[in-house]
Amino acid sequence: MPLRLPEPDTNVIENKKQIIYDLNKISSNIIHTDDEIRPYETDGLSVYRQKPIAVILPETTEEVSQILRYCHENKIKVVPRGAGTGLSGGSIPLADCILLGMGKFNKILETDFDNRCVVAQPCVTNLAITESVQHKNYYYAPDPSSQLACSIGGNVAENSGGVHSLKYGTTTNNLMGAEIVLMDGTVLKIGGKHLDSEGYDLLGLITGSEGLLGVVTEVTVRILKKPESVRAVLIGFDTIEDSGNCVADIIAKGIVPAGMEIMDKPLIIATDNYAKAGYPRDVEALLIVELDGTSSEVDTLIDKVLDIAKMNKASYNRASNSDAERLRFWKGRKAAFTACGVLAPDYICMDGSIPRNKLADVLGHINKLSKKYKLNVANCFHAGDGNLHPLIMFDSNNPAEMKKAEDFGADILKYCVKVGGVLSGEHGIGVEKRELMCEMFNDNDIQQQLNIKNAFDKNNLLNPGKVFPILHRCAEGGRMHIHKGKDKFPNLPRF
Amino acid sequence: MSGFYSAKSEQEVSDFIFENFNKSSPLEIVGYNSKKIGRIIQSSQTLSLGSMSGILEYFPEELYIKVLPGTSIEEIESELRKKNQFLGFEPNDLGYIYSGKSNPGSIGGVVSCNLSGPGRYKNGALRDHVLGFKAVNGSGAKIKSGGTVVKNVTGYDLSKVISGSYGTLCAVTEINLKVSPIPEHEETFLINNIDYIQALEIFQIALDSSLEISGACFFPHDNVSFLTLNDVKKDTSALGLRIQGPKTSVIERIQSLKKIFKDKSVIILDVYQTSIFWREVKNLEGYANTDDSICKISLPITNMRNFIKYFENVKYKYFLDWGGNVAWCSLSNQQDLDQMRIFCLKHDGHLTVLRADDNFRKSEEFLTYSNSSLRILSKKLKESFDPKGILNPNKMYSGI
Ligand SMILES: Cc1cc2nc3c(=O)[nH]c(=O)nc-3n(C[C@H](O)[C@H](O)[C@H](O)COP(=O)(O)OP(=O)(O)OC[C@H]3O[C@@H](n4cnc5c(N)ncnc54)[C@H](O)[C@@H]3O)c2cc1C
Repeated sequence: MPLRLPEPDTNVIENKKQIIYDLNKISSNIIHTDDEIRPYETDGLSVYRQKPIAVILPETTEEVSQILRYCHENKIKVVPRGAGTGLSGGSIPLADCILLGMGKFNKILETDFDNRCVVAQPCVTNLAITESVQHKNYYYAPDPSSQLACSIGGNVAENSGGVHSLKYGTTTNNLMGAEIVLMDGTVLKIGGKHLDSEGYDLLGLITGSEGLLGVVTEVTVRILKKPESVRAVLIGFDTIEDSGNCVADIIAKGIVPAGMEIMDKPLIIATDNYAKAGYPRDVEALLIVELDGTSSEVDTLIDKVLDIAKMNKASYNRASNSDAERLRFWKGRKAAFTACGVLAPDYICMDGSIPRNKLADVLGHINKLSKKYKLNVANCFHAGDGNLHPLIMFDSNNPAEMKKAEDFGADILKYCVKVGGVLSGEHGIGVEKRELMCEMFNDNDIQQQLNIKNAFDKNNLLNPGKVFPILHRCAEGGRMHIHKGKDKFPNLPRF
Repeated sequence: MSGFYSAKSEQEVSDFIFENFNKSSPLEIVGYNSKKIGRIIQSSQTLSLGSMSGILEYFPEELYIKVLPGTSIEEIESELRKKNQFLGFEPNDLGYIYSGKSNPGSIGGVVSCNLSGPGRYKNGALRDHVLGFKAVNGSGAKIKSGGTVVKNVTGYDLSKVISGSYGTLCAVTEINLKVSPIPEHEETFLINNIDYIQALEIFQIALDSSLEISGACFFPHDNVSFLTLNDVKKDTSALGLRIQGPKTSVIERIQSLKKIFKDKSVIILDVYQTSIFWREVKNLEGYANTDDSICKISLPITNMRNFIKYFENVKYKYFLDWGGNVAWCSLSNQQDLDQMRIFCLKHDGHLTVLRADDNFRKSEEFLTYSNSSLRILSKKLKESFDPKGILNPNKMYSGI
């Protein structure tokens, strides 16, 4: 599939030599030969590739600021990049862009136990934050499955979550402060080691903005004390409906587990084969519920959860009795993507969020679509917060199949929106779901977002072509203010 | 022409704002108009959202409620209570500091201030509980963002931005809020007769444990008299630690606290007393009958001690909440307030005025800018919603 990105600026491409020469004066870590930049051509959405004009790897905030100012003044597009694990193509370069690799910002600057936070550079991995504080029994709560590799700056850009987001929230709920550099080079500190930054919540706005509003050069994140006790239960069901109902019942009974995950049969088998997790192989749906707190609290809650499971016709259950056993329960789930890689040459991972009570409905629909498109699909969900990850399997050597897989994915997301959900729970829109934004938003909504983009980056140079549709307009809804028949920001290439 | 317009629907809000947009005529947006929070606005038009009231959807097992902006906090809370749920950010009832008695106001007003109760440091702020909204921006366009699900990265997260924006960006016409289960049981571990230095040390020890403390406040000896419980002494300082959860676990954790603080003078407040005690904390009820300015000092915990020490000889009242991350203060001297604001700015924090007299509201700032770049960006952000600056102009900051 050719990837549609905004029209490259031929001036910039022709000026490549001069640009590299100029940028070299700001930072000597600049690479541009084909071989060197190959690793930067794509991200976790690896079906698309694109070479930038050069990759620059700054080492200080000052360098980032100067690079951005230079690009701002010379109208050169910039794409920020963390670890490149993003699944929606957010850090895929443009042909006329400078790729701003944050890889050298890889230090933990401070572990502050008194204020219960860590100050880190953006390319520190998510897991490294926990590792820096675990000797004192602290951890950083949001735990994307990619935590070994993904960067905390990327997490901020995508508002990443994980299996524990149900109880502990996603990145946005755990970020206390950030230093960001705007496209014009302005360096801003927002928030800090206190709670609630004052004024407009710029921290909240930056989080999940997919690298479109500013480059994150430092973060302050909240750390939590490890709970005294953590246990997990595996619960098997004969139908997906029963597992979905069980999840709804657990919540309705006032229990907020640390995590609740469901896998369907194809994934149970695949992950069990791959990770030898000891899953029951004769159930249609497997629910993992993790509970944490004080020992007696956890034990009480486990009993309650098992009772609720029984009422929902669970056919299998097993509670962990040691940490090793608990971790084994998770081993399969956490290897879901890798296990899927064994089932098919390629897969794409979708990421819709839906109301919990629509789980069975949506899964039924996905199965119908699977038959229609003649492509296999395996499903895992962060069931507690209604976040689905259908994994659509295909063979990218067959272009027709790839197109089918994309259409299949789009149909799933449209259905998510139809039942009251959203296009992305945690992977972001990027280039992948850009054109689907109109399923959720009309022109007014998008225009408001573009106005904000304009306030931060008036020439639309920072990560353009991502998040917002570029191929068409969304349906008109309500009143849009068009001044003298003109678009307010005609310079923004959009729709 | 001055006017008071009470809108009944989103369309009416849109029409009214559009009309004023065309005339470049500033307007004040109000809920019940019960609190003079923020700076004084020069406008001849008032747009009230107070009669757009009602619960549109409530799905307890989906953990959200969708309401119109003029819905009262009482109505929302009483509806949630029927299903054993509550608003996890524990909305402060500012009625006490504004009119001496309970008057929590409308949800629209509450969201516009982004204030949160005692559980803030554990359960998040108000802004963490806004899942989505509909609104009309300053050019009259109906806009929306977010949804009803907790996980959502679909466009910029504007729910955060409208929380605490004092109605300066848009008129919110519908709000989706996350709701939480009411903990099964709660008790309070109360330590008497300590000074602020010890209090901050106790916070550190208690919050550094795995005991999941969901409230941690401290009243110095000269600011306890308003607490109504008979069991709370009126002449000595009091530090409260709130423990919530399944009953067995609460009891167990109280025992653990007793062991940790065995040399301290301790009282345990039962479930009934606990709810009264924390209501008084949350609503700043101690400042109900004063003409002083009331403000929120937000600092890193480790700077709070220096703050109190630095202002030891100044005449003001304070109490600490959020495990020492916030001090709620009451003071009458403007210069002292300015000094405190400067201190906060120098020490990675800020001071927000919650209530002040009309003189102050005319000429002084309620909020603080840490630097000019932030001011420029905030102004641009405001313009991106409200290009002609007609929505609550100057309410949040002078010139914005
Ligand atoms: C196997 C696998 C499992 C995954 N599991 C999860 C999961 O469980 N939960 C989840 O939420 N995600 C998951 N992801 C997705 C991905 O890991 C996250 O989105 C992650 O946050 C991306 O971080 P990154 O450093 O790789 O960012 P990149 O991919 O490099 O960039 C992602 C976006 O962030 C922007 N960006 C990066 N750094 C900065 C910066 N410093 N300043 C400004 N913008 C920046 C980029 O421009 C881009 O738009 C998974 C991915 C993989 C491959």
